Amino acid sequence: MITIEALQRYFDGGDERFYALKDIDLHIGRGECVVLKGVSGSGKTTLLGIIGGLDKPSSGKVMVDGEPISKLPDLHLSNFRAQKIGIIFQHYNLMDHLTSRENILVPLIPVANDMHRVEEMTDAAMKLASISHKADMQTSRLSGGEKQRVAIARAVVSDPDIILCDEPTANLDRENSLKFIESIQMLHQLGKTVVIATHDPLFDDLPFKSRVVHLEDGRLV
Amino acid sequence: MRSSPFLYFFTLQFFREYKNHLATTVISIALIFLLSAVLFISSSIKYSIDISLGAQADFVVERVRGGKKVDLPIEWIDTLLETRGVQKVTTRVHGRYFFEDKREWALIVGIDFMDEQSNRALEKLVESVDLEKFLFSSNMLVGDGVQRYLKEHFYPKGYNFLTPDGKYKKVSIFGTIPNSLNLMSNNMIIMPQELAKEILGIKKSMVTDLTLNVPNDNLWDSISDKIASLYYDIRVLTKREMQKAYENMYNYKSGVFLMLFLITMATFVLILYQRYSMVFSSQRRNIGLLRAVGWSIRDILKLKLYESLMVVLVSYVIGVSLAYLYVFVFDSPVLIDMFLGGENLDHKIKLIPVVDFGVLSSIFLIYTVAFIASVLIPTWSIAVTDPKEAML
Amino acid sequence: MSEILLNNQVIVYLVSESILFVLMLIALLPTIKIVIKWKFYSFSQEQFALEKRAYLVATIVDFIFVVKFFLLIYFVFTIDALSILVPGAMCAAGVVSANDYGMPLLFFKLLILFVMLLWMTLHRYDLEAKEYPFMRYKSWLFIAIFVLVVVEMLLEIGYFTHIDTRRVVSCCSALFGQLEGANPLPFGLDMLKMIIRFYLLYFVNIVALIARYRALTMTSSILFLIISYYSVVYFFGTYVYELPTHKCPFCMMQKEYYFIGYLVWGSLFGGVSISLVWAIMGSLFGIDKSIYRNISVLFISIFVLICTSYVVVYYFRNGVFL
Repeated sequence: MITIEALQRYFDGGDERFYALKDIDLHIGRGECVVLKGVSGSGKTTLLGIIGGLDKPSSGKVMVDGEPISKLPDLHLSNFRAQKIGIIFQHYNLMDHLTSRENILVPLIPVANDMHRVEEMTDAAMKLASISHKADMQTSRLSGGEKQRVAIARAVVSDPDIILCDEPTANLDRENSLKFIESIQMLHQLGKTVVIATHDPLFDDLPFKSRVVHLEDGRLV
Repeated sequence: MRSSPFLYFFTLQFFREYKNHLATTVISIALIFLLSAVLFISSSIKYSIDISLGAQADFVVERVRGGKKVDLPIEWIDTLLETRGVQKVTTRVHGRYFFEDKREWALIVGIDFMDEQSNRALEKLVESVDLEKFLFSSNMLVGDGVQRYLKEHFYPKGYNFLTPDGKYKKVSIFGTIPNSLNLMSNNMIIMPQELAKEILGIKKSMVTDLTLNVPNDNLWDSISDKIASLYYDIRVLTKREMQKAYENMYNYKSGVFLMLFLITMATFVLILYQRYSMVFSSQRRNIGLLRAVGWSIRDILKLKLYESLMVVLVSYVIGVSLAYLYVFVFDSPVLIDMFLGGENLDHKIKLIPVVDFGVLSSIFLIYTVAFIASVLIPTWSIAVTDPKEAML
Repeated sequence: MSEILLNNQVIVYLVSESILFVLMLIALLPTIKIVIKWKFYSFSQEQFALEKRAYLVATIVDFIFVVKFFLLIYFVFTIDALSILVPGAMCAAGVVSANDYGMPLLFFKLLILFVMLLWMTLHRYDLEAKEYPFMRYKSWLFIAIFVLVVVEMLLEIGYFTHIDTRRVVSCCSALFGQLEGANPLPFGLDMLKMIIRFYLLYFVNIVALIARYRALTMTSSILFLIISYYSVVYFFGTYVYELPTHKCPFCMMQKEYYFIGYLVWGSLFGGVSISLVWAIMGSLFGIDKSIYRNISVLFISIFVLICTSYVVVYYFRNGVFL
């Protein structure tokens, strides 16, 4: 599903070259759940970004479904993000001037053809994330857990194969974090490939089959 | 076309965040309003001039001595009629009459009520007058402005004109000239030719000038040359030349304004550039999010350019409509003086509503091009936001 | 200052053109950079920046194309309105021929629109492919467009500053009217032969488009364009004006003829350029999209239909041909 070979991501600052990721080789199979662990600054988010086509590597190869995504032109890369990737951000990243429903349908706009289909898919996603009852509420008025559920609904709305989560429980209490893990379990059961970047110990021992990968200073350990 | 979801989201976004566009929309409306008001006025005036010129004779023949226009003998008619292609030579008697205070004046036009008129508007006017009564004593028809002036100076029924040989001539007001030719007839007095000659001090055997028609357009230039060679002191004016002179005059007036407008516009463009750079950079995170969830650069460009286009369209429609109301319904207070000048007796005129495609398209074109061109670069720079910005 | 330059429409026109020119300049820099430094498979920051800059160029070209399209209509409309200021001119024909810059200017305007259409087509397929295969061609083409626009700008300045409002110009009947003995038609054709060729070429062109004969499409389109120009001016136009002596490509764009000229010339130029774009794209870059052929067939057919219907309607109303 996802194959990473000799991946490097560095930033040239002054005369020194700073490596965010170095010599990463990783394979993630279809339907697998992988937890990327490491302290902040270890490169988890950067790696997640590169897998999701949000960032570009400095060298190396990233293949998703047999397609190299590291050097795709924007139009194709965007389409890839829209169709294959669902992302749950650390700060939820909801648009505050829109309601939950409107936030959730955002990823469908550039790829959907008719509004009817958009409505259907949005409703299904809301149901899945059990947030239907807050559909028409401005997202700025939702609680942390509800925002998280809107974010989940938005990530799954276009029925992507891969779900990426960036520190999903950083802003949640224990109860909500456990609920989040339940949602992930459900997505896992639906056959989605899930990659979670986190330093939350709750993810060390998930109630379903998962693989933990440790990152340190941009290298796999 | 994936129009419908896109348009749905565009409308949503536009109206939820209308505050971002409010300031630019208001300034745009003001600018478009000003420009269109000025251009409406000038095109309406041009239109009324065109109408009245269109109703006039093709040629005017004058006598010029020492660079000054002088009266010409009636016999010229016969000579002119001998030229092939010339039809309907008519005499005209007209001149300015200055009222007592020597400041205000009216245009006295003497016409031969029994003869065919060279001017279609005059023809209609003559038809509407009861000639038997009108010609029985000294009577005149006056324009709106003249009537108002006379009333204010306590001459509601008639006026005692002072002729050049020092005698007073009493003439009664028979009626007013209908409004259809408002602009040209506002300060006009129409009376029989003989009476006009007496008041203006023109000899019986002379007239002010002659008009004639040449039905075949193609002959205009050659006939103009032929007539010009008949007498050494003759001057021939064609309708086209007059039209051109007026066209240039109003082009000049609105052109000066347009220049000022363009300078304002240039400033506005700079403001727009900065304003949109600012607004967009505040949306950087949201745009990054859109990019992260699968919007391409092209999609963002489309969304943002539609927004700008919407601002332009809304401001255009509102600005132009307001200008229309201001000019044609409220008679454009203040601005109109710029165009007519204070020379006329009274220039409270009613502008004929004319909506000229040229004017509308010019306003739209210059505004849209300048507006979109100035937001193009800020729009692009926000559209290429890296999707990873959403992860920061 | 010439009175022409005080005309509101001329001012608006020239200012708009200048704005577009500035935008062209802004787009030129990244284009030159792309020509020099484009390396698609590089992962350098510079390359990624260039890919973004390419979007700026594309946005500017799209914008300029749309505006130039409307400016062409506006230009014709403006010079038509100027005919009142130029002695002897009854319509745009006289004003265009008021000096030697007019006709080349008009030609350049059409040419630029055509080349830009080519650019935009190339760009569309460049985006759809996975490695920007046409980026360099596009950039060279843009530089060519830039050169054309510079020439156009110079012609424009020359044209508007050299309209003498005192010199009498010829009106359209003198410009296009038949001189005694001289045959104005191309290739020594007479009227009937030309009209037969007009319909024949139309037929060939449509067949070539439908059957995807690229070379044939190219030649027949160009011939059709030439024959159509003369056919409209010397034959179909007289039916528009309902006057056998009135021969003018411009008068039909006036209000008296319901602005039909814009539709006639628009459909002709639109149809022919799109069919040429299809043929060129196919033979040079292997791009073959049927939508181009369909639109082209549609436009050319609309053009022929309008021309024909003027003749037919006239015949049915009056029982005779002109």
